[in-house]
Amino acid sequence: MIRLENVTKSYSAEVVALRDASFDIAKGEFVFLVGPSGSGKSTLLRMLNRQDRPERGAVWVAGRNIVDMPPGRVPHLRRNIGNIFQDYKLLLEKSVFENVAFAQEVIGRPPHVIKQQVPAVLDLVGLAGKEDRLPDQLSGGEQQRVSVARAFVNRPLILLADEPTGNLDPATGEGIMRLLDRINKTGTTVVMATHDQRIVNTMRKRVIQLDRGVIVRDQARGVYE
Amino acid sequence: MLSRIRYTLRETFDSFRRNATLTVAAIITAGISLLGVGLTLLSQHAFDNLLARWEGGVEMIVFMNPTATPDQLQLVDDALAAQSQFIAESSYCDEACSLIEADRIFAGEPGVRDLLTEDNILTQYKAVPTEDTDVELLRQVSDAFSELPGVYDVSFAEDQISLITQLQSFFGFRLLLLSVFLLLAAILLIWNTIRTAIFARRREIEVMKLVGATDWFIRIPFMLEGLLHGVIGGALASVGLWAWNSQWTSGVQNFPDNSGFSALVVVDGYDKTVMLIMLAIGALAGAIGSGIAASRFLDV
Repeated sequence: MIRLENVTKSYSAEVVALRDASFDIAKGEFVFLVGPSGSGKSTLLRMLNRQDRPERGAVWVAGRNIVDMPPGRVPHLRRNIGNIFQDYKLLLEKSVFENVAFAQEVIGRPPHVIKQQVPAVLDLVGLAGKEDRLPDQLSGGEQQRVSVARAFVNRPLILLADEPTGNLDPATGEGIMRLLDRINKTGTTVVMATHDQRIVNTMRKRVIQLDRGVIVRDQARGVYE
Repeated sequence: MLSRIRYTLRETFDSFRRNATLTVAAIITAGISLLGVGLTLLSQHAFDNLLARWEGGVEMIVFMNPTATPDQLQLVDDALAAQSQFIAESSYCDEACSLIEADRIFAGEPGVRDLLTEDNILTQYKAVPTEDTDVELLRQVSDAFSELPGVYDVSFAEDQISLITQLQSFFGFRLLLLSVFLLLAAILLIWNTIRTAIFARRREIEVMKLVGATDWFIRIPFMLEGLLHGVIGGALASVGLWAWNSQWTSGVQNFPDNSGFSALVVVDGYDKTVMLIMLAIGALAGAIGSGIAASRFLDV
């Protein structure tokens, strides 16, 4: 599903975000990216949805090298990738329903499909009955659930999560992880950058560890260390 | 398709509402500048009315008495033909032709125009000189026509139109220059309004990009917004132009007779053409301003 081949990305001569990174992620895998701040986790995630491009190397997503993908094709790539962020990136003036529907609306899904799929995904993330609330009327955990619903509503092949539990207390974070695990079990590949040692150690999924842009460990059913 | 149109319209009008102050400023500036363009075109057309009888390079007109007989007309026709070394071509403007001209010349004095009929209007022979003939030379040979029977008067373009053309060129150029600067200001203001709108919605745009919206899908509501700024500005300018032209046309009728302003009105429907031109320029200015902004600032 995802393959990196000798990917190098630097922001300046001194700041190398990724150095010669290579790995494969199969369809349906759940992978944690771990490492200290500045180790290249977020850069790696940005490469996977073509927000960023490497100087060298190839990034294969769903069988296509996306490094040289024409800009006009990038939106179609992104329709197969869901994104979850630490700060949720919700639209504050839109309701829960509208935030999730927005992801379908902007790619031209017809209204009857939106009316059918949005309530279903809100039910999946445990927000049934809160469709009309505004984001600031929700707790942090609920806001992140809206963000997960928005990322998953188009049934993407891949879900990229950048520190999704970073702003949440441990109990709420566990709830979000259960949700991501459930989504992963539907066949969606999940790649998650995190600092949360407890979550990584509890879930025992594949762990790719980065240090100053270099992959220093790639371990199946790994722990944080 | 319908849902995309609905989305585009909703986002466009939402942006209008959120950005109300800048939007109003952009529309007013566009309106004023387009009014300037419209007034320039309208005043040029009004000046053209004054010059109506001198169109086509005519430098000399031999006015014939309404009572002139066919023989007298033929005599003048022959005399003009005899001066072929000075006169390249001449044409006769009969009663019907002269009345049509009077419609333009006395557009602002319908009372005077109503007094003119086929029985009392002066008909005219219009002469275009050869390239080598200057007006002074033409003036010297004009005696050959002025003393012929049936001739009322001989007029020269130089005497009548030099002041008018000077005024036309003075006002035309300066008004147009001012309008161009104002139009440029309107484009910049529309550009800035759209840039601000994009900045205000940067989070939304970021989300849209991440979920796979195309750049055009994101861009179109902003471009439509700029286009509407220009079109609404053009519509305001059209209302202003209509009000100005109506006031001026009715005001001119109260001016003293022979004040020279009677022809400086536009009553032949040209003002409608100018309004369409203003709407088109407004739409173009809006599209340019917003198109540049939406292309340059979409990377939020």
